[in-house]
Amino acid sequence: MPGILIIEDDEELREMLKVSFSRRRYTILEAGNGKDAITHFKPGVTDLVVTDLIMPEEDGLKVIMKLKEIKPSIKIIAISGGGKAGPGSYLNLAKALGADAIYSKPFSVNDMVLKIEELLNIEQQ
Amino acid sequence: MNLGKNIPENDDFTSFLSREKYFSDHILDNCRSMISIINRDYVYEKVNAPFCNAHKEVADAIVGKTLADVWGQETFSKNIKQNIDRCFSGATVKYEASFTIPQTGQRFFEVVFRPFPVESGEITHLLAETFDITDLKLSEKIAVEKEEEFKRIEQMLEDRLLQAQKLETIGALAGGIAHDFNNILATISGYSELLQEDLPQASPSYQNVAKIQMAVSKARSLINQMLAFSRQVEQEKVIVNVYDVLKETIGFIKSAAPENVTVKSNIRKKNAPVFADPTQLFRIFLNLLTNAIESLEERKGIISVSMELVSGKKVRDELNKKIVADDYVLITFRDTGKGMDPSLIRRIFEPFFTTREVGKGSGMGLSVVHGIVTEMGGEVLVSSEKGKGSVFYVYLPVSAGSTNNFLVSGIRKRILFIMGNRHESNILSLALESAGYDLIKPSNKKDFVAVMSEKKFEPDLIIYMTDAENIRCEDLLGALHNRTSETQCILIEDPDIEFPEEKFVNSGLVCQHLIKPVSLKEIKNAIQLSIK
Repeated sequence: MPGILIIEDDEELREMLKVSFSRRRYTILEAGNGKDAITHFKPGVTDLVVTDLIMPEEDGLKVIMKLKEIKPSIKIIAISGGGKAGPGSYLNLAKALGADAIYSKPFSVNDMVLKIEELLNIEQQ
Repeated sequence: MNLGKNIPENDDFTSFLSREKYFSDHILDNCRSMISIINRDYVYEKVNAPFCNAHKEVADAIVGKTLADVWGQETFSKNIKQNIDRCFSGATVKYEASFTIPQTGQRFFEVVFRPFPVESGEITHLLAETFDITDLKLSEKIAVEKEEEFKRIEQMLEDRLLQAQKLETIGALAGGIAHDFNNILATISGYSELLQEDLPQASPSYQNVAKIQMAVSKARSLINQMLAFSRQVEQEKVIVNVYDVLKETIGFIKSAAPENVTVKSNIRKKNAPVFADPTQLFRIFLNLLTNAIESLEERKGIISVSMELVSGKKVRDELNKKIVADDYVLITFRDTGKGMDPSLIRRIFEPFFTTREVGKGSGMGLSVVHGIVTEMGGEVLVSSEKGKGSVFYVYLPVSAGSTNNFLVSGIRKRILFIMGNRHESNILSLALESAGYDLIKPSNKKDFVAVMSEKKFEPDLIIYMTDAENIRCEDLLGALHNRTSETQCILIEDPDIEFPEEKFVNSGLVCQHLIKPVSLKEIKNAIQLSIK
């Protein structure tokens, strides 16, 4: 079973993503902030990361750079609800830094699941 | 003074009397007030020259007449008689009244009736004295009006401050809550999608959940508008001539305005440098013009735009505003549309205030205009009359500097700029050039191919607007494919135009993807990220 790491500081949202992905039989790993995600990152069992961008401790942009460095084949989906600079600019940055897909909150979780399947299929080929 | 003592011994009594009469008449006739003596039958027995002059009569024509004859029966019995009767009962009567006299028309007077005791002690006459106090009244009225005007201005300043604070609060609020709020929306939306998976599509519950989804998307767009608002007030500024921006905006609106609208512009080329983001100026001018067009409601009408320079002193005096520059540029947008009620005028700059149907306008336009203009140290004012039209006045402080040198040191990068809509692109190119970038702007495919095949030419970056008509994205991809070195590209997408995004993404070219309208700040950030 492919492993998905969800990095999101909002607990309810993290729980929602976990419930949605679990239905598709993925192994779910969780982290509440960027620092924990990097420290406890398990490259062997993590195929894809869904990460928030604005978080306490390390932010999502740092996470993207660090995880891509540790495991270049990892797929990353960045999600952001925006902040002072607006959702667009952070997500653009995330894409520039190597995120494979970007979603601004609120997004369709069904769309995201389709995207995940697409990204992981490409990985397997 | 006892006159009796002054009778000269050698003088005879008759000549004394006639001299005394001459003196007293002289005194009376040279008074400034109208003086008369009235008996108990309401008949004038004596009048002075000012009285006669006021009535355009000689004394003989008045003496012997009743007050009713002179003033008219109605005025006499309604306004005069009661006062005279009180005076004959022994009181001195004073009152103010306005009445019409033949010489000057209607004037204000102070009237004094004094009982006239003869030696027997019985009151047989009264002395009437009437002063013209019109000028005094007028100056009192002016003082009252000035006081009211002062209060009005004070109120206006207070309102304006309140408005500025409100806008600031909304901006801060939007930035602050948007992130958490979107998290909450994402959770609601995600769980409702899960719910829908579990429900049969035909069930009423499935439809109910669909309504939750709709509400989420509405909330999402509201938050986006608030974010856009807080973002738009923060600007990346350069020195730009308002004339250049206004000319492009008018060109744009003339090409886009429906047939019922005549756009008149009275703008001569002037040097009116301001410190602003040209793309934001373009947006606010466009916003005011679009509102003007909408106010015509598809009827025939005229929108006129003018631009002039006014001195800071004049702005300070007329707007009661603390000035930040020696000169201001005033841009006036006038329409013959439906106009507004005074109650509306007070609220139009409030965020989310809209007169349009629900869902048709965000209500953010004018509040953004207000936010940007005020942030620049300018002022936007409106005057409007229901049914006649509205006028918007935009005052912007003229910048003392004339070059952007302080901004451009070390920037000079070469950008190949493939332009879309003429006017919009011109604004963007104005903004980028003012910010210190060198632009190469091929206007057709031939030029573009020539530029791209030039071996020596190596742009630092390509900016491609997806509404470029003469150079299609296939042309760009083709030209880039033939090149050996890697060139970064920024896409500026027109959301109204179908665009094969995958082709670009798959070619691995796009490093930045912006969606119109873009601000100078956004595009500068994108450029800085692309050019390393």
